[in-house]
Amino acid sequence: MEDTHISELLAAYADGELGVEERARAEAHLAECSECRTELDAVRLGIEAVGVLPLVAAPDLIWKSIDAELARRQRRQFTTRALAIAAGLLVVAAGVWQWQRTAGPHWEVAGLPGVERVRAGEWMDTGSGAARVTIGTIGAVDVRSNSRVRMLAAKAGEQRLTLDRGEIHAKITAPPRLFFVETGAGTAIDLGCEYDLACDREGNGYLRVLQGWVSYERDGRESLVPAGASCRTRAGRVPDTPSFDDATAAFKVALEGFDANGQRLEALLSAARSKDTLTLWHLLSRAANDADRLRVFTRMLSFGPLPSGVSREAVLSLDKEALRKWREELAWTW
Amino acid sequence: MAPDPNRRELDDALLAACRRGDRTALGSLYQEHKDRVYSIALHFFRGNAALASDVTQQVFLKVITEIGQFRGDAVVSTWLYRMTVNVCIDASRRRRPEVAIEGLSLGSRSGLPAGEQEGKELAERVQAAVAALPEPFRLAVLLRHFEELSYEEMAEALDCSKGTVASRLSRAHRLLAEALAPVRGWFEKKE
Repeated sequence: MEDTHISELLAAYADGELGVEERARAEAHLAECSECRTELDAVRLGIEAVGVLPLVAAPDLIWKSIDAELARRQRRQFTTRALAIAAGLLVVAAGVWQWQRTAGPHWEVAGLPGVERVRAGEWMDTGSGAARVTIGTIGAVDVRSNSRVRMLAAKAGEQRLTLDRGEIHAKITAPPRLFFVETGAGTAIDLGCEYDLACDREGNGYLRVLQGWVSYERDGRESLVPAGASCRTRAGRVPDTPSFDDATAAFKVALEGFDANGQRLEALLSAARSKDTLTLWHLLSRAANDADRLRVFTRMLSFGPLPSGVSREAVLSLDKEALRKWREELAWTW
Repeated sequence: MAPDPNRRELDDALLAACRRGDRTALGSLYQEHKDRVYSIALHFFRGNAALASDVTQQVFLKVITEIGQFRGDAVVSTWLYRMTVNVCIDASRRRRPEVAIEGLSLGSRSGLPAGEQEGKELAERVQAAVAALPEPFRLAVLLRHFEELSYEEMAEALDCSKGTVASRLSRAHRLLAEALAPVRGWFEKKE
């Protein structure tokens, strides 16, 4: 007989859970140990006793409760998911909104309390203040007091704003035809320049160029305004004829008359200086008839000959290439 | 007792469907195990049917909720009975001092033939004796009886060693034999 009793192994022995060697040792011990045999009888009685416990069928109500709980969880899960999706969409929308606010097309604004940037479609009113608007990387626009502007586009090939009223000073260092300012009377197109532009709500105002060139256009008519020259703008009318700011008063008065009703051409031609060929060049295409055009042409020739390759006929028939070449030649004197 | 390989196969097939959220498969899983889970809980709580129902519901809700995380390195039934053990222990810790509801779960004895009445009475005495066992012994006895788990599977379900399972069962059965000494004759007569 082994010295140690096998009380703790008796259930395993009775249940057939011992390995071959363990079982053989247990049987050897039981053959010698009456105490363990008595305990084995007790264990077997216990096993038999438990055998009378009936398997009881689970009430049907349990599955109904489980089913109801599952349905409730599914509804809650659906609601939670729906809320999560809604929250996600909200986050995305907020992100887009924030992106549009900060990273979307916009111009930075300085000098106007509470306004840091202006985005496409937005208006900016300076009131009694003034603001500097940085136009991407190509320049800046100073918006004077009591002015109202709106950003229309801010992209690589086009920077465009509306001047509803007031005055702006623009300084642009970009290739021609990238920066546009629309007013009620036309569109100022930067050709690489610095200029002032003012207008009232109807578009009555002026364009004064300080450096470079600006093209002011409406309904197919273009006024090319170089540095030192200005051009009046009038509501509902094609652009006035540009003239140098240092032109004589007589010349300016005559030009105003011409732009208003086609009169005073003779006085205008008479008061013109060499430099005023800027104005006369524009009048070639604005003359009321061939006779007036010939008078303008003749006056212009009095200040210098036609450049080589440009004929009298081409100019009088308003050939675009001929007019361009003559303007470029004249521009040396402007 | 070695694990039944056929049961393992069945569990795997059922598990795959349950993991897909197949309601029919979940229903089958419930149908296959519900009576044993309920009976274990019922006898663990000395015939308290309400508590047994509550435990059964909790066990299957847990199973259905967590089956996606089941690692599959054990048979589903072992995992399920481990949950049964845990829920029974949790419920036991939460409940108020026990009020015996002896006899209620096994039905009324009145009107039964003499032999059946005797069997009923014996079952109630055994249920009372089992309910009086310490919890770890009680769970070992009930798992072995209702689920016929091997000692190895029981060790997994009870989170202990095989040796501990053997020891608990040996002690439990001796305690039962002691408690049922007055009716020992009935078992001997039966033999």
